[in-house]
Amino acid sequence: MKASQWIWLPAAVISTAAHATTYFSVEQVQRAIFPGASFSATSLPNAWRASNGGYVIVDRVVGKHEYITLAVGIHSNGTVKQIEIMDYKESYGYEVREAPWRAQFVGKSASSPLQLNGDITNISGATLSSRHVTDGVKRILQVYETSLKGKR
Amino acid sequence: MKRARPLLGTYVEIEVAGLAEPALARAIDAAFGAIARVHRLMSFHDGESDVSRLNRYAASEPVIVDGWTAKVLEKARILFDASGGLFDCAVGHELMRSGRLPSQGLGHVESGSFAAVELLSDNRVRFSAPIAIDLGGIAKGFAVDRAIVTLRAHGVREALVNAGGDMRAMGKTARTIHIRCPGLDGRAVQAGLLRNAAIATSEAAATVMKQRARLPAPGSHHAYSVVAPTCLLADALTKVLVQTQDAHAGYFARFGAIAFVTSADIAEVRVA
Repeated sequence: MKASQWIWLPAAVISTAAHATTYFSVEQVQRAIFPGASFSATSLPNAWRASNGGYVIVDRVVGKHEYITLAVGIHSNGTVKQIEIMDYKESYGYEVREAPWRAQFVGKSASSPLQLNGDITNISGATLSSRHVTDGVKRILQVYETSLKGKR
Repeated sequence: MKRARPLLGTYVEIEVAGLAEPALARAIDAAFGAIARVHRLMSFHDGESDVSRLNRYAASEPVIVDGWTAKVLEKARILFDASGGLFDCAVGHELMRSGRLPSQGLGHVESGSFAAVELLSDNRVRFSAPIAIDLGGIAKGFAVDRAIVTLRAHGVREALVNAGGDMRAMGKTARTIHIRCPGLDGRAVQAGLLRNAAIATSEAAATVMKQRARLPAPGSHHAYSVVAPTCLLADALTKVLVQTQDAHAGYFARFGAIAFVTSADIAEVRVA
C-alpha cells in the first residue's frame, strides 16, 4: 500500500443523521429509465405512463434506520426494466425527536485538518440490508398488476 | 454524477466525474450491469447461480462455472491458505444451520472447509467433500472491483463505488472515510483519507467463526476495517481480522493492506 492511498485522520465522531443523498428528481428518473419517452399521468399520483407503453412508479420505503424513495421502471410487457434509488436518508429515532440535530459533528477535534461540513457519504460499516427495498419493489409490482396493467 | 441501486442485498452507490453527462450515465449503467452479473453468478439464494449449482452438484461431479466465479474461487483459495484457514467460504453448512441461508435442496451438505474445493482446468470446479460455499465474504468486494474496471474501460478516471460500506476509490481525489461502529447508532467515526484504494468493514455478529478463532468479548462494540489495493482483498481480510483481532498479522502487509479496529468505547469517550 502506498502512503498516498491511506492517510490517518483524528478519530472524530460525526452524526450520520446528516447522511442524506438525493440522486434523482421524478423528471430525471423518468428520463433515465425511458430515455426519449414522454410521460402522462395515470389514475395513481405516483405512477406515470411512458409513450412507449412502459410505466414509472415511485414509492417510499421505510427501513430500520433509513428512508428511501425508489423508482421502478416497468416495460410494456410487465417486466421490470430498471430500479433506481431516488433518495436515501438515514434517521435514528432519538435524533428525529431532537430536531434540529444537536450538532452535525459531535466531538470533532479542533485540530481536524478537514472541512467536515459537506455531505457525508463515505461510510464504511457492516452492510445495510436492502430487504425493505426488495419488499417495496414487490409492492410496486402488485400496484402495477392491480391498477395499471392493460389500461390506456 | 451519483446513482444508487439495490444490488448484492444492499445499496450500491456509484459516483463518477470528469466526463460529459451522457458518457457518465452510460458508464454507470455498465458498472451496475457488472455488479448485477456478479450478483447473478454468486448469489446463494438464486437456484440458477454458479454458487447454487456448485453446492448442489460439485460434490458428485465437476461443475463448469463462469470465468468470474472461477477467479473469485482462486482468490478465495489464496486467502484461505494465507490466513491458515481463517478465511473460509465453506460456511454454507453453518449459515444454513443458523437459519441465515436457505437449505432447500442442500440436505446432503456437511460441515467442512475450503480445502475441499478443487479448481480444475477450463473453469471446472469439484468439491472433494459435501460442503456448501457462500461467497458473501468476498463477492461484494469483487463486484466493486469489476465496477471500477468497467468504469475505467468507459473512460472514467474519477470514481467511488460503495456497496453498502465496502468501497473503492479511483482517481486523484482523496475521500474522507468514516467507520460505522456497532453500538454507535446514528454516529460514525472519522478514520482516514482514501485514494486509489479500497476499504471494507465488518462486525463480529455478521461473521462466521472458523477453527482457532479468538472470539471477541460478547457484547463488544467493534468495527473491523481493512484498507487494501482491491476491494476483494479488503472485503475478505476483514473476515480474518474479526476472528484474530490482530491488526498486525503479517498477511495484511503481504497483501498490501492495512487493518484497524474501531471501538465504540473510544468513540463514546470522545463524544463526552
